[in-house]
Amino acid sequence: MDQTALLFLVLVAMVVVFTVINPIFFSSAVFANILQDWGPIVLMATAQTLVIVSGGIDLSVGAALGLSGVVSALAMRELTASGQSAWSAMLLGVLVAGAVGLAVGLVNGVLINRVKLVPFIATLCTMGAALGLSLVLTGGTPVAGGPAGSIQFSSKTYLGMFTVPIIVVTVIVVAAGLYLHKTRFGRWTYAIGSNQFAARGAGINVESHLYKIYALSGLLSGLAGMFVYLRLGSGSASSGVGQELSAIAAAVIGGTSLLGGVGRLAGTVIGAFIITGVLSGLIIIGVQANWQRVVIAALIAVAVGAQGLSNESLRAK
Amino acid sequence: MNRASKTLAALGAAALLLGVSACGGGSTNAEAESPASASSDKKLTIAFVMGAVGDPFFKAMKVGAEEAAREENVNLEWQGSDTEYSPQTQIPFVDAVLAKKIDGLVLIPTDPDALQPSVAKAKSLNIPVITVDTTVNDRTDVSAFITGDNEDGGAKAADALAAAMKYADGKTYKVAVGSSSATTTTGIGRMKGFESQIAAKYPGIKIVDKAYSQSKPEVANTNVNNWLTKYPDLAGIFAIDGTNATGAASALQAKNLVGKVALIGYDAYKENVDLLKQGIFTAMIAQDPAQEAKLAIKAMVSQIKTGKTGIESEVVIPNVTMTQENLGETEKYTYVE
Repeated sequence: MDQTALLFLVLVAMVVVFTVINPIFFSSAVFANILQDWGPIVLMATAQTLVIVSGGIDLSVGAALGLSGVVSALAMRELTASGQSAWSAMLLGVLVAGAVGLAVGLVNGVLINRVKLVPFIATLCTMGAALGLSLVLTGGTPVAGGPAGSIQFSSKTYLGMFTVPIIVVTVIVVAAGLYLHKTRFGRWTYAIGSNQFAARGAGINVESHLYKIYALSGLLSGLAGMFVYLRLGSGSASSGVGQELSAIAAAVIGGTSLLGGVGRLAGTVIGAFIITGVLSGLIIIGVQANWQRVVIAALIAVAVGAQGLSNESLRAK
Repeated sequence: MNRASKTLAALGAAALLLGVSACGGGSTNAEAESPASASSDKKLTIAFVMGAVGDPFFKAMKVGAEEAAREENVNLEWQGSDTEYSPQTQIPFVDAVLAKKIDGLVLIPTDPDALQPSVAKAKSLNIPVITVDTTVNDRTDVSAFITGDNEDGGAKAADALAAAMKYADGKTYKVAVGSSSATTTTGIGRMKGFESQIAAKYPGIKIVDKAYSQSKPEVANTNVNNWLTKYPDLAGIFAIDGTNATGAASALQAKNLVGKVALIGYDAYKENVDLLKQGIFTAMIAQDPAQEAKLAIKAMVSQIKTGKTGIESEVVIPNVTMTQENLGETEKYTYVE
């Protein structure tokens, strides 16, 4: 059975179970709640998929989310204080958040290509530095005072669940999917992830390609930072902390191999739905808070395990 | 009392002599001749090791500590990790100040067990210890413990919530509590006070859900979003700390429920006070960290000079309930940025 289809069945089964226990779960209000969590996670998981397929890993996505949220919040607060309109402040916020994320990604690229650190260590360093910088800039308190009405703007739903930021995120993820699966950029990414030396031998400029991949990963994380800002109306250094693990989990649940060279964005998208859906689901069906983590961990094991088993049955044939 | 003051006078005189001889030519006559005022004592050095330098709560505390240090003419060594509230980052600072010549240690233990050996170490060096805000499990070697009372704060939050919902006996009110984690001691104390006050005074209030934010505002936001979906008749929310306050405030704004669901916050951070002004918070429980620190410094000076702190072994500084109505007199409790 096709892996992505199998994964989709896991998602459907999850929805059915939650709905049977508490029918409120199957409502546009709950789906809207889930989408609010899905937005930033799927952006970071998309970033993660690109990086992991290329044979690397990016631990800095969560910290990049936090830093870009904080810096764009500071920029938007300045602009709002100077009397500019909410629209221009939000536009500036998007640009600043993207730029900060991009910068984090480029630092990763330099550390990997020039300083020759393995991606795990390189991005661990930028993760620490980005989190530290966010704390230095904010002193640990959230940065509010940005454009008025940003929460209302970003939470106004169409068809009961789709907000403007969610639509933007969907477009970005579809574009990233086309980029990964339909272009030379994507083919090279798989080639590098499968065998870096062979890719080099085939004439691919691996360094330049890795710059692009980590920059793109940072950019997507920066946009996730703006998404969280719009949702909360403030930027906080603690936003995104630890979320790199959720992003990696979403990609891995989606069938991306940590060994590189294997992965499909459609799987990642469903993986992100599973990770965020289970969180809301457990609250709706009333699982005690401390048990939620245990259940999420078990579910990840089941989702990944099911795919492994289906792989084996394929091989057996 | 009499003996104490005699000892004080003797110490003062000794300090005066020491001061003069130590300073030598540097000290002017005027200074040397001034009566046994604080300025001519041997200047005491008190180390104050707190949780996180960057947190406005501790910044507010520093204002009080510096004020008391000026009044008492002591050197204040304000020390602690930049941003991280944890024993791993705090213990090196405690070790560092104990290695210097300090006369007293005011400590905000970031963990009741992990900092116990540090207190014992100070004791072995004959350095008195006063704990503020939080304390260690075994207080034998602690001269005094000054705190804002989290249980009292939780109880006040229950009162404020009941008032905001116009509580009347016989009716049922569903409320939910957002906390940061199952292990945060301040959160546990606030929750305990909140629950026992409700059990004692407000039988109609039902706590339908509790959830943890893991210190992330977006997780707090998810929790509140789901409560609002699951309990369309939710009457109130107690956001136990700043992270939960941010998450709850944005959820209520997004769902147009400001004013319909009562929201009680904790800690007078500036952005919280702004939310109170906008009516998004119904009420807020504020502590008085400056007062805690001030009292700690004064008690420490007394302890060093007289062997007695002059205060009870445990002093609780009461919390303040801030509302839009009383903001005129309570806004001064806002923590400095």
